[in-house]
Amino acid sequence: MSTIESDKTESKTVNFDETNLSPTRPSGDSENDGKIVFLLKAAGGAPILKKKKWALPRSKTIGHIVEFLKKYMQLDVEQQKQLFLYVNQTFAPAFDTTIGAVNDCFNSEGILVLHYTFTPAWG
Amino acid sequence: MSTSSIDDKDITRELWQSRLPICFILSDEDMSKVNRSESPEPLYLMLSRHSYFPCIIEKIFRYYSTYYKGNLNDQTNSINLNNLWLEYESIPLKWHYPIGLLYDLYTSSLSSSSSVSHLPWQIIVHLSKFPENELIRFPDIESIEAHYMTTLKEADALKHKGQIIGDMQKRDHKQLWNSLLQDKYEAFWNINIKLMSYTDNLQYFRYIPFRIYILDKPFMQKLFSPYDIEQNKWMTLYDLLQYTLNHEVQCEKLANEKKILNNNIENYRVIIHGVQPPLHSPIQWLSEYFSYPDNFLHICLIENQMR
Repeated sequence: MSTIESDKTESKTVNFDETNLSPTRPSGDSENDGKIVFLLKAAGGAPILKKKKWALPRSKTIGHIVEFLKKYMQLDVEQQKQLFLYVNQTFAPAFDTTIGAVNDCFNSEGILVLHYTFTPAWG
Repeated sequence: MSTSSIDDKDITRELWQSRLPICFILSDEDMSKVNRSESPEPLYLMLSRHSYFPCIIEKIFRYYSTYYKGNLNDQTNSINLNNLWLEYESIPLKWHYPIGLLYDLYTSSLSSSSSVSHLPWQIIVHLSKFPENELIRFPDIESIEAHYMTTLKEADALKHKGQIIGDMQKRDHKQLWNSLLQDKYEAFWNINIKLMSYTDNLQYFRYIPFRIYILDKPFMQKLFSPYDIEQNKWMTLYDLLQYTLNHEVQCEKLANEKKILNNNIENYRVIIHGVQPPLHSPIQWLSEYFSYPDNFLHICLIENQMR
């Protein structure tokens, strides 16, 4: 399996107006009102988000996050075509998988880390 | 696990060979656009339970496209391969679920009587009006292959922290998929057997890759170890189900869900590969011998109907 190293010199931090997703609670609990806390990390040269920590209800899907990110990052038409979300830097769950199911299996000390890329970085 | 290896291998071969007779019928709407004097007869196919519909989508399309000579890809009709989708009892069928799983989940759940035979499985073929909001498109066989591989990686992440699939050559990955496509049992298991081994000085998988499906709910997946070290005992299918249902109920309560799942196992029939395995079956054994080719146990829970 090959991995793509983030291009550190090229990555840019982008400012976005933060609306749709809820702000995280300061307590750091993994589940607030049953919400899943996750970190979004850039890979494969994708732009780094200013706000990295998010929270969503368990029932929201991976597809929902991808669609949200596409709008949020104001991607151009070419980039909009493919946005991949990886877990464990290994696999990309199907879009109808709930964030709750992913979190239950792959969170690390209460936080779920997801990597987003424009290319299939990990296959 | 100390079971007879000859018998167990027979089971994997039986599962590999199990088929479903399916009858594909063109939708009324698309039937009306046919431009030949005779309407298409239903298409009958015997399909592997562990395969995926996109693997035979070209065959289905080729069969029906002969009835639309001249207006294929015609904008006004929008009859084309990309718009093909399958429906059962008004439910659009997900491309990325194995065929056997779809059959077990929907035909068992939607029948009023369990004694009615659902074979051949009657599926409606649509060639237009793709339900964008309900189905993910799988435009080609490469995308279903990518889905298969990523699922396999997830299974290995649970079983072995991804060590075994990570160490495999790319050609081994290819062999798994191609054997699935070409129905080659031996070629498949020559590689798959490696994914059934143990790592880290364990005598079992670290966690079991499984998904539990109940009609109209997203699937449930949890971390579950096949062996209880403290109590020194092998966990069973019953233990896994009870744990998952209880955990899910807790999550629902935390999220203030109005409708809480019924976590009484007696309330359900438990179906894997079209059969009801004994609930006391060790889950490690089921994971090794009863998983789908994607290395997951896809378990259907069918609510018992009030009679």
